[in-house]
Amino acid sequence: MKIYVCVKHVPDSAATITVKGKTEIEEGITFLMNPYDEHAVTEASRLKKIFPESEIIVVCFSKPEAEGTLRSALAMGADRGILVASGHRHDPIMTAIVLKKAISQDGQPDLILTGRESIDSEGMQTMFRLAHLFKIPAATNVVQIETRDNDVLVSCEKEAGAREMLKLGMPCVLAAGKGLNNPRYPTFPDIVKARKKEIKIIDFEKLDIPKPESRLELVCLEPALEKRTPKEITGTTTSIAEQIVSILKDEARVI
Amino acid sequence: MNKIYDAIVIGAGVIGAPIAYELAKKGYKTLSVDKRADAGEGSTAGSCAIVRAHYSTEDGVAFAYEGFKYWLDWENYLDHVVDEKGLAKYMNTGSILIKSQGHKWQDVKNHYDAVGVTYEEWDNDQVLKHVPVLDLHEFWPVRRPEDPTFFDEPNKMLEGALFCPEGGYVNDPTLSAHNIMRAAEAKGATFMFNAEVTEIRSADGKVKGVTLADGAQIDAPVLVNCAGPHSYIINQMAEGVWEGCNIKTKALRHEVMYCPAPEEYDYYNNGYHQSDGDIACYVRPETGNMFLIGSEDPDCDPQEWVDPDEFYAGKGGHGRDNQLTEEQWKAQCYRLGRRVPTLQVPNQPKGVVDLYDCSDDWIPVYDKSDLGGFYMAVGTSGNQYKNAPVVGAMMADLIDACEKGLDHDKEPFQFTMKYTGRTLNVGFFSRKREINYNSSFSVNG
Repeated sequence: MKIYVCVKHVPDSAATITVKGKTEIEEGITFLMNPYDEHAVTEASRLKKIFPESEIIVVCFSKPEAEGTLRSALAMGADRGILVASGHRHDPIMTAIVLKKAISQDGQPDLILTGRESIDSEGMQTMFRLAHLFKIPAATNVVQIETRDNDVLVSCEKEAGAREMLKLGMPCVLAAGKGLNNPRYPTFPDIVKARKKEIKIIDFEKLDIPKPESRLELVCLEPALEKRTPKEITGTTTSIAEQIVSILKDEARVI
Repeated sequence: MNKIYDAIVIGAGVIGAPIAYELAKKGYKTLSVDKRADAGEGSTAGSCAIVRAHYSTEDGVAFAYEGFKYWLDWENYLDHVVDEKGLAKYMNTGSILIKSQGHKWQDVKNHYDAVGVTYEEWDNDQVLKHVPVLDLHEFWPVRRPEDPTFFDEPNKMLEGALFCPEGGYVNDPTLSAHNIMRAAEAKGATFMFNAEVTEIRSADGKVKGVTLADGAQIDAPVLVNCAGPHSYIINQMAEGVWEGCNIKTKALRHEVMYCPAPEEYDYYNNGYHQSDGDIACYVRPETGNMFLIGSEDPDCDPQEWVDPDEFYAGKGGHGRDNQLTEEQWKAQCYRLGRRVPTLQVPNQPKGVVDLYDCSDDWIPVYDKSDLGGFYMAVGTSGNQYKNAPVVGAMMADLIDACEKGLDHDKEPFQFTMKYTGRTLNVGFFSRKREINYNSSFSVNG
């Protein structure tokens, strides 16, 4: 089985993001693998344990610095990487076209895994666009994957507590949700092995992709100021516990 | 009319709070001022709060060993004060010092013998019996992952460790300072927060008091600088103090990492504090079954001396501000990853960046100054947390003796430690000393 995992190189969620100019951010911060993509890489690695003949190829379309993120994916169990490097940021339409081209040039995918969204642009559309270009089915926020002979059975989380079971023909695009697994992080021996794994770097300009008819353009970035309104919960221990449960159930809807 | 106290302590961290406590116990009417909102919220909050005995000098070992006794007897030390936030807990994990080229462990062993520190010598098998996740190859010299030789295969083995059954860490350093504040208040001490000192007033070679950022003036014949990473700024405000120090202090940026322990290894409950000069890391358990990974500042790592106000405001840019860097995350986690090959290293750095108040030789300055009534407990450089209660007792005795006429520069004060019974020449910590080349010049002290 050939498993392609698309990963994105994003700013660390813990970093202080400073807007530079109108559409850029200060990039002297830590960039790393999009956290949802960590679930996708971990899942690919799990599937490889079931199908040891599988090959896991991580694909990334980003600035050249994203090699570090690919190296992380290799340490987490991927076999080799492909980086399409470009000096500029691109929209999801172009990203899907580039990923499709990079994957098609490389081989025949049996499964394409991605994260359900990227934590920087949160577009949630690249995986659907990619599936559309391949003319294959897609499912998002996947929390369980069961591979069968010619199809996969997946559970997708819809909203808190609700799941949907889907059957998809292979190949297909599956976008990992948080509940899919606990990311398996690399150990030092994994990191050493990853240093010797192959990363193929493709120059975006050389792919010679015609400009799509329409595109999505970032006009302006504005820092969001988070407003917090703390609320004190008082009462007896039992009543405090009851109030917390009711908040989690009715307001936050997480249980 | 300015408010008048017997002594003003600048800083309510883990060094300032016990000095206020001990002075209050002696009958001094003290005021502690701190620019933060509560006790222990400055660099104390970022302390790893390690309690261990190995230091590069015999006095250093004795001082730390004395400190243990306070942590072991915390409630008594606090005179059973009630702190609404609860009490900090000393976690006695035991302390392993790996025998390596990175530490002068033979000297440490001699100091242990001289001071009477309880310890065992372990060979590699005994080390593995206690910490089965370790790879005891020698990885020396310490390198950075950017250096390709970092990944070279080791071919020699280490030679065991020294183990002290007494040693560990305090689970909440901020809370420990808060506890001491409450104990001090019970003895009459006053604490003022959100109070930044902007001026030290003096006349005729004697200190008069402080002026705060809001313009308030408070007077006292005794001032104690315990400002942590801001100590050099306070010393510079006081007439002749900075110039009169042969040993100066400045603020050094320092990163500490949290990395999850290997699966199946209950490090939080079964792990030890461990100092490992071979990889320049020290580790201790942290809540959530994490390894807390500190660095012993090897020569190959960058040293960033920063302006503390800029740092805490998040300014200065990559590697100088208060955010973890990916490079240092990798350096510390990969170094430990060699020692603990099953350690999983997440992609996202997690940890704490804070400042050391560091002296020229990494040994603190506990002293008077060239300005009458002005004292300092500064340069505590990341290794004095454990000694803080002893520092409180020693500084209070020193201040009291000097205020009663002792010329400490001529006849250094001799401090008697109440538990070990040893006498310590406080002149060892003098601002006028030459650089002490016996020091490790690192966090090891």
